[in-house]
Amino acid sequence: MAEAMTELAKTLEGIVGAGHVRVDGEARRYAVDGVAPRAVVLPGSVDEVSAALAACSKAGAAVVPWGGGSSMGLGGIPQKVDVVLCLVRLNQVLDYEPGDMTSTVQAGMVLSEYQARLKSQGQFLALDTPDETRATIGGILAANVSGPRRIRYGAARDLLIGVRVAHADGRVTKGGAKVVKNVTGYDMNKLYVGSLGTLGVIVEATFRLYPIPPAEHTWVAPFPTAGKAREAIAKILDSPLVPSAVELLNQSAAVEVGRRSGVVPGSGGCLLAVAVASIPEAVKAQLEQARKLGKNAGGGDGHMLDGEAHEKFWAAVRNFDGGQNGGMVLKGSVLLDKVADALTQGERLAEKHGLSVAIVSEAGTGIVRYYLRGEAGVPDRFRRLAEAVVPLRAFATDAKGSLVVLHAPPEVKPSVDVWGPVGEVFPLMRGLKERFDPGRILNPGRFVGGL
Amino acid sequence: MDHAQLIREMGKIVGPESVVSDPDELKVYETDGLTIFKATPDVVVLPRGAEEVAAAVRLCIRERIPFVPRGAGTGLSGGALALEGGVVIGLNRMNRILEVDYANQRAVIEPGLINVWLTNRVISDGYYYAPDPASQTACSVGGNVAENSGGPHCLKYGVTTNHVLGLELVLATGELVHIGGWTPDPPGYDLTGVFVGSEGTFGIVTKIVVRLLKRPEAVKTMMLVFETIADASATVSGIIGQGIIPAAIEMMDKLSIEAVEKGTHAGYPTDAGSVLLVELDGPRAEVEALTDPVIAVGRENRMREVRIAKDDAERVLLWKGRKAAFAAMGQISPAYYVQDGVIPRTQLLKVLGEIEALSRKYGLRVANVFHAGDGNLHPLILYDHRIEGQAKKAEEMGSEIMQCCISVGGSITGEHGVGFEKRDFMPLMFSEADLGAMGKLKQVWNPDGLLNPGKIFPTSKSCVEVGAAKKSRDIGYKPHRIEKEGLAQRF
Repeated sequence: MAEAMTELAKTLEGIVGAGHVRVDGEARRYAVDGVAPRAVVLPGSVDEVSAALAACSKAGAAVVPWGGGSSMGLGGIPQKVDVVLCLVRLNQVLDYEPGDMTSTVQAGMVLSEYQARLKSQGQFLALDTPDETRATIGGILAANVSGPRRIRYGAARDLLIGVRVAHADGRVTKGGAKVVKNVTGYDMNKLYVGSLGTLGVIVEATFRLYPIPPAEHTWVAPFPTAGKAREAIAKILDSPLVPSAVELLNQSAAVEVGRRSGVVPGSGGCLLAVAVASIPEAVKAQLEQARKLGKNAGGGDGHMLDGEAHEKFWAAVRNFDGGQNGGMVLKGSVLLDKVADALTQGERLAEKHGLSVAIVSEAGTGIVRYYLRGEAGVPDRFRRLAEAVVPLRAFATDAKGSLVVLHAPPEVKPSVDVWGPVGEVFPLMRGLKERFDPGRILNPGRFVGGL
Repeated sequence: MDHAQLIREMGKIVGPESVVSDPDELKVYETDGLTIFKATPDVVVLPRGAEEVAAAVRLCIRERIPFVPRGAGTGLSGGALALEGGVVIGLNRMNRILEVDYANQRAVIEPGLINVWLTNRVISDGYYYAPDPASQTACSVGGNVAENSGGPHCLKYGVTTNHVLGLELVLATGELVHIGGWTPDPPGYDLTGVFVGSEGTFGIVTKIVVRLLKRPEAVKTMMLVFETIADASATVSGIIGQGIIPAAIEMMDKLSIEAVEKGTHAGYPTDAGSVLLVELDGPRAEVEALTDPVIAVGRENRMREVRIAKDDAERVLLWKGRKAAFAAMGQISPAYYVQDGVIPRTQLLKVLGEIEALSRKYGLRVANVFHAGDGNLHPLILYDHRIEGQAKKAEEMGSEIMQCCISVGGSITGEHGVGFEKRDFMPLMFSEADLGAMGKLKQVWNPDGLLNPGKIFPTSKSCVEVGAAKKSRDIGYKPHRIEKEGLAQRF
């Protein structure tokens, strides 16, 4: 194997140039769940991606597509990792027509750089995902990462209108077009979003863009209990308000966000944050309305945040990591009217397992992120973390949803089901994998059901 | 299995009264909203529940009979045609609203439910279902799922795929399964996302979980009147350029206005060159504040006048004109052929100019009524089918319009689907490899090709046609000019 690998590394060097293949120590930095690749290849063009994939296919080498590396915690422990295909050199904006509010970008472009480019025309890609100075467009799509503004703008699946993908055999195909409305042929965009690179490697993406709203402010207020917050959220969602984010944080998450952002959220209980984006007068009117609804439900007066305070607050929310070091991050998806329960149940279950938990939830979409930690030095804290997944998943399933492990320490991952069951439709998913990657070289073992 | 046996066996599944086999009655099912193509099924069954659908599908599979799902039959691309005969499974009787859950902003409905019935049911509670195709008083949500239908308001609120979270469906194997659900991001591949818009080739939907939206606090509908299409187009760009995303921006040209006025008397100015129907919705403060900027953009572009609907009645009347536009063509032409190309918004004027040139070249009038905000054109080519050769000319002109849309980076269909009508134009947009990837997707869902055969994929030999059970019957389809000239295979 070692010899075959050396030969493959040479072939890859022939494709991308000697300076763009890393081996040995440098390659070990690209380990996935502790499994290090033998080579890291950094192609500089779609043709090189294609040729590299074809070479790996021929050699039967397992390929892990890699963007900025910020979502590498997602997925099962890989069956094997031979080559990491790193796309960061594909980092150009290929097309941008502000009048059409669409743009085509290469997969390796870092989100914050892309946003800076769009901002110059008063527009943005409506994905406020974490780790924006590192995460790449391709990685965000493949891992289906979303942020608090999803309630207003949708997720990757709603914004991606065209895609170009390099397949395991090196073939390059496209789906969609550069128009915001299009039903010509099957919707291939949806196939690749969230597929974790197991069907093909996204090399280009075309997005629908949005104008940067004239103003966006936030009202944040403490609530003594999640139950009271639940009432406020229900009233807000049932009102004519058009929030751009509705976030509910448990106390420990609120403290952490307060500390990081320097925005003091008030004391006690959980924290509700409502953002509105519109023209300034409409923003103010709506947030006053939100405050009224919140106070009637038993919330505090809270604060109105704008400008830098608003920005810092949301940066701390979307980049919340609760200190991943040794911790575990779970993403639940539950019914809207179960979000507040997800907080109380999450805290109760964490306590029962001797763990601490910070919970950041999107109350308008039902996405709940749990950041669980065991006290350092407690000998069985990894077992406790692993065991906590089961009841938290049961809660999400009861709330007509699901729960996925976004990140787990290497000591925990082998004993948890990262994706949870997909049930009766697994044969369809397996069928897709078999058709699109018959040699099983793309991220083998990392996707649902060990695909 | 002979015809009589098939009728008997289907009768055992759905009840004899729910099997249509009389040749006269079958005529209802020989075409959809695009009436130039016809294909008659052998039998139509009208099941009342998912189990009956599944049993009918299993019988078809066992006997190797092609089967085609059908909603209200309002499709505009021949998607519901039984091209190879066989069984049409009509979902019209499965039309209940099963569940409405405001706290979770969801409804569960059956596929045969007429689109607007859902909104009618929930509007008094302050909610609505956003996708609103012009045919919403007739089309079914199951059909909307198959076609990924849009509508005027999808500019701001998105199309069907953005509002469907989960589906119960009968697979092409006869198995009843659930994909997606009530909550976002179920683990695994986005099967729901892939299914929506698959034009009835991946399975037969028996239940749909949709998102309900809160009704906006305020709505303002305006008609902006212009002397020229150019001024109206510039206004569209100007509004969007200001960072304003109206709920809808619809454009109509002189000929459309004329037809609509004759048909509906909605008060459209027949002496105008073009009108824009602009609707703002949202929180009252926002709608009020954006009204003047929209009007100002119009004025900068020589807007002749603006009419603002004063109340719901006036608003409904303005929309009635727009939504009745296709039907109103009967006032000015014996027949029309509608196109559905999409272009980048900035290419609007250029493409409209080219359509005008084509109109002169072919000697056929074209009425333009379309979703200007998202660049989804609907040129209506007016012709007289009684005049020898005119239908063919209209078809040829349509193909040139599609090519024009693709040449500016657009798409051949924005909401009507490829179906049977546009299948041979697919190679204009997609390479053999692109179509190959779509073919793989189809193989996973529809391995035998018995489900809705002959749709979406081009028939040309150079392309991967997947799973055709048997050769298409001749149903009077003439290859398009570009196909004869070999252009359709240039990739």
